[in-house]
Amino acid sequence: MSDETKKIAKVTVDRNLCIGAASCVMAEGDVFELDAENKAVLKLKGGAKNSGPAERSALEGGADDKILLAAQSCPTKAIFLHAEDGTQVYP
Amino acid sequence: MNYKYIIVGGGIAGTTAAEAIRTADKTGSLAIISDEQYRLYSRIMLSKPNFFLEKIPFENVWLKKEEWYSANNVAFMPGKKAVALDTSVRTITLDDGNVLTYEKLLLAPGGAARKFPGPGGDKGGIFVIRSLDDAKGIIAKTKTAKKAIVIGGGFVSFEMCEMLRMAGVDVTLLLREKIFWEILLDETSGQIIEDALIKGGVKILREAEVAEFLGDASITGAKLKDGTLLECDMAIVGIGIVMNLDWIKSAGIETNRGIIANEYLETSAKDVWVAGDTAEFNDLILGERVQLGNWVNAQMQGRTAGNAMTGKHEAFRLVSFYTTQGFETAIAFAGDVRVDKERVVITRGSHELKSYSRLITWNGRIIGATLINRTQDLAPISKLIEKGVIITGKEEQIKNPAFNLSELLK
Repeated sequence: MSDETKKIAKVTVDRNLCIGAASCVMAEGDVFELDAENKAVLKLKGGAKNSGPAERSALEGGADDKILLAAQSCPTKAIFLHAEDGTQVYP
Repeated sequence: MNYKYIIVGGGIAGTTAAEAIRTADKTGSLAIISDEQYRLYSRIMLSKPNFFLEKIPFENVWLKKEEWYSANNVAFMPGKKAVALDTSVRTITLDDGNVLTYEKLLLAPGGAARKFPGPGGDKGGIFVIRSLDDAKGIIAKTKTAKKAIVIGGGFVSFEMCEMLRMAGVDVTLLLREKIFWEILLDETSGQIIEDALIKGGVKILREAEVAEFLGDASITGAKLKDGTLLECDMAIVGIGIVMNLDWIKSAGIETNRGIIANEYLETSAKDVWVAGDTAEFNDLILGERVQLGNWVNAQMQGRTAGNAMTGKHEAFRLVSFYTTQGFETAIAFAGDVRVDKERVVITRGSHELKSYSRLITWNGRIIGATLINRTQDLAPISKLIEKGVIITGKEEQIKNPAFNLSELLK
């Protein structure tokens, strides 16, 4: 059972589900962007970019409420958020 | 029945508004009126080939569980249409005759797909794609279809062409214009897209329009205005969206193409807000009144309107964009992509490179962009639009497709 009130500890983009709709980039452009394959990637500290899984603390920036909004805005539910205790925050 | 909050429209704008209301007000009575039979689903998914070809499980289309409505104390009224509004006594009349009263009202009715207006348009085998029922019909028909025609040059027709080709259906695309998406793109963009379509096996007929569909109960062909006969057992029509706002107009609410709103998404009537595709609102970032038909715009407007309905007065600010991909080609639009004589277009890339952006600038700022195979430019462009960065004097740098636009943000 997901719990959207829990703190986000890990972010993952499922590249098989991602259709490049870019809604996450719109919702939280400090964390998400599209790569050359038109798939969402996470902006990591140090300049690396990949689809994760990435620890929340390894992300370059972003705000938790906007990361949740980005996940909720995904029309294919391709963004997975997990809490510290491993439970799924979204979807 | 009396409700504190009534939301007309059960799509992403209306449902997100309900969610926002519930974060501030857990108990105030709330009703969502939807003219569709279904709870919130992903309208974006509907036009994606992998959904049609059932490579993505059908269940993934649902964005809310059935229990969400009752768990959040939301009275969900599917299959009901609002037909009249009286803002003086705050009532909404439904098509079943029921009259509801509201304290705060959100209009988020969305648009409907424009249907083929000519003779034979009511025959079987002709589809539009807007609702889940439309998608179900297309999924079923695609399994047996042999020859399809797709009408229109835009996002919907592009995605439907790919889906049909992936399903092994013979596809002819009919464009009323001289080139794909002539209204919003330019020749180079249109050529790159047409090359991709042709390479993918789509036949393109330009400046071609259907005069009538032929056949008995189901179509067997189409007769074009120039007399050409095309054999087909399926047709998908993607010729735009219509807004049915008569009942809102009749209530005295100011409308144009959409429902007029300020930057707070307030309409001309007290305690009535608008969100989503029907909102023709004052965009603070672009500095003009716009109407945008895209998913995140609808979602974020729903959030702003829902917050406003519980007393959180906050202007709507978002650089919105829309993307699609197919035939190994990615297309994206950001901000306001309309071009007029006051606006200067800077281009990056070329037909030969199969990579081409157009940045639409106004008074030295970027206000919109169209990108073909350059989606990595989206994030910096949206930031440039949002921040209103002056790019005067940097045009030559921008024209170089290898130049990283993020440099302009520094």
